[in-house]
Amino acid sequence: MRVSFWSALSAGAIASLFAFSAAADSIRIGLVSEITGPNAEAGAYTINGAKLAVEEINKKGGILGKQVELVVEDNQSTNPGTVLAFSKLGGNKDIPAIIGPIRSTQVQAASPTIKKAGVPVMIGGTDPSLTHVDNPWVFRCRPNDTYSSRVIADYGVKNLKLKKWAIVHSTDAFGAGGQKALTDALKNLGIEPVLIQGYTNNSQDFTPVVLAIKKSGADVIGTYITNSQDVGIFAKQLRQLGVSATWIGSPSIVTDTAMKLAGDALHGTYGIADFNPDANPAAKAYAAAYRAKYNLDPDIYSSWAFDAMNVIAQAINSGKSEKSDDIRKAILGLKNWKGVEGDYNFDSNGDGLRGYNIVKNDGGKVKFVEHINFDK
Amino acid sequence: MDALANNFQVLFQGLALGSIYALVALGFVLIIRATNVVNFAQGDFAMLGAYMMVAFLINVGLPYWLSFILALVGMGVFGLVFNYGVYYPLRHRGFLPVIISTLGASIFLQNTVLAIFGAQPKRLDNVIAGGVQIGAVFLDSQYLVILAVTMVMVAFQYFFFEHTMLGKKLQATSQDKDMARLLGIPVALMIAITFVYSSALGGLAGVLVGPVLFVSIGMGSIIALKAFAATIIGGFGDVKGAIVGGLFIGVVESFAAFYISVPYKDAYAFLMLFLVLIFRPQGFFGERVSEKA
Repeated sequence: MRVSFWSALSAGAIASLFAFSAAADSIRIGLVSEITGPNAEAGAYTINGAKLAVEEINKKGGILGKQVELVVEDNQSTNPGTVLAFSKLGGNKDIPAIIGPIRSTQVQAASPTIKKAGVPVMIGGTDPSLTHVDNPWVFRCRPNDTYSSRVIADYGVKNLKLKKWAIVHSTDAFGAGGQKALTDALKNLGIEPVLIQGYTNNSQDFTPVVLAIKKSGADVIGTYITNSQDVGIFAKQLRQLGVSATWIGSPSIVTDTAMKLAGDALHGTYGIADFNPDANPAAKAYAAAYRAKYNLDPDIYSSWAFDAMNVIAQAINSGKSEKSDDIRKAILGLKNWKGVEGDYNFDSNGDGLRGYNIVKNDGGKVKFVEHINFDK
Repeated sequence: MDALANNFQVLFQGLALGSIYALVALGFVLIIRATNVVNFAQGDFAMLGAYMMVAFLINVGLPYWLSFILALVGMGVFGLVFNYGVYYPLRHRGFLPVIISTLGASIFLQNTVLAIFGAQPKRLDNVIAGGVQIGAVFLDSQYLVILAVTMVMVAFQYFFFEHTMLGKKLQATSQDKDMARLLGIPVALMIAITFVYSSALGGLAGVLVGPVLFVSIGMGSIIALKAFAATIIGGFGDVKGAIVGGLFIGVVESFAAFYISVPYKDAYAFLMLFLVLIFRPQGFFGERVSEKA
């Protein structure tokens, strides 16, 4: 009995050795995402997006003839969890590139670890400073908040002709960065906001914020709200307390979750979205594939990860190398690479995109209004 | 007039959220009194109750009142399971193993619910749609329901513990287990009943606050943190204290957020906690430790 146990064990060990050597013939790409914790929902969508890209790449024969394997590491929706996940993936020599988180604060926390690992990391966090901290390994697959704020300010001031601005922002890295950028963008258009109001994530009550907006007499509200749930609570209370000002929000305002939770409180609001299924042909194809596979509407948490995976694949293909250094050079060499979020041209900082879509919540449906792009 | 309206609005929100803290704090206190341990899964009782409501109301499609009753009964049954699964096996091991056991239960509950319901928060509708508009002040109907139910629960609690035999037996158990046992009170059963009641109470808080904060995995943790502060501010293990402490924190944080600063809203509850611990360590209603001994 005992003998057979040991022989079974050693047979298993040999089998796993073979499995390992088979795996060595694939290209392993890391993904640090939120599987547990309060943001697990968004994390699941990010994984969906990356997985869809991997599936399509493998169907077409993989990269350099090798199949792609996604190695997903949970960051528990926390900064320490993110650092831990990056040390784990970054220390693995089999993983030449990693797709990082969408939360700016997590990227900020993990930045030194990423630099030490020396592996290209595609991020979704939109705080402008993330690519300006002398870290050559961070590449952004979404337009940063300098552009989002310029688009918000441009659209509100020039198209809608609104001049009395209130800014509501989360106090985390994303919200504080967005607030600063929006204030600057408005200043460039000659406007001083009448109110700048911060709040902390997972606020249960936005009454003080809404009352402050009411008092300020603002006719347009620009928001940088991180969590979809906070968008929902804020929207409900804003309309309940009778504030009817125009609202142009950061991407969380058009997430599926925010729109489901807030319902008609969000009708008529504008949002900016780096991803919209109607914005370009690549986006249309992606949206169709995503719906077919997951029976869900694609949103911003999934689309950038789809692009990130494809940018890595493209870079490995064009550089004909799966070494981290070569991948980095190849990413910087991409010219007008057409992704679902727009045309990618990575600058020396690692920013790939410079434009946003303006969308409108039209009775619960997100309608594409226009794409605003900047050259610089 | 405007300032008056604003103050009233802020007070109303504060009292309503404070009521939720109070209900969860009450659950904390009852378990502390019965077992001498803090149940760190108390906030997750609220979360679980809200998800049960979602399951019955939205997934099964039962009417609101029936879903409400089933959610509370479900939470009562869960309290019994919790008692025998988490507390009972460790009851002779001192307080630390039990606390760790409740922490484990909390993580287990959050991830079980995550696995079953997925990560997307759920929307629950108000019991009564709309609200009351008085001038510039808007009273959300759900907040009114929360305030009313909390008052009823406080009255019920008083009547139950002071005027029924079962309530008196529960009190005796919490005061002195050995003496209670000598008097023929089935102590283990009394503790089980306490868990059933606390669990239903936590579930009630969750069902009530679901339409306001939306139903999400993390909803319990945020409430529990404030409720725990309320428990200490009110006087550790004091029933009156839990209710007053909860309302106090709700109102203070609401006004401080309005008048001082919104981003520091969560800090005020703990600032109050520090102040109370420095100047009145036994809490509003707590006995001095020396007197207790």
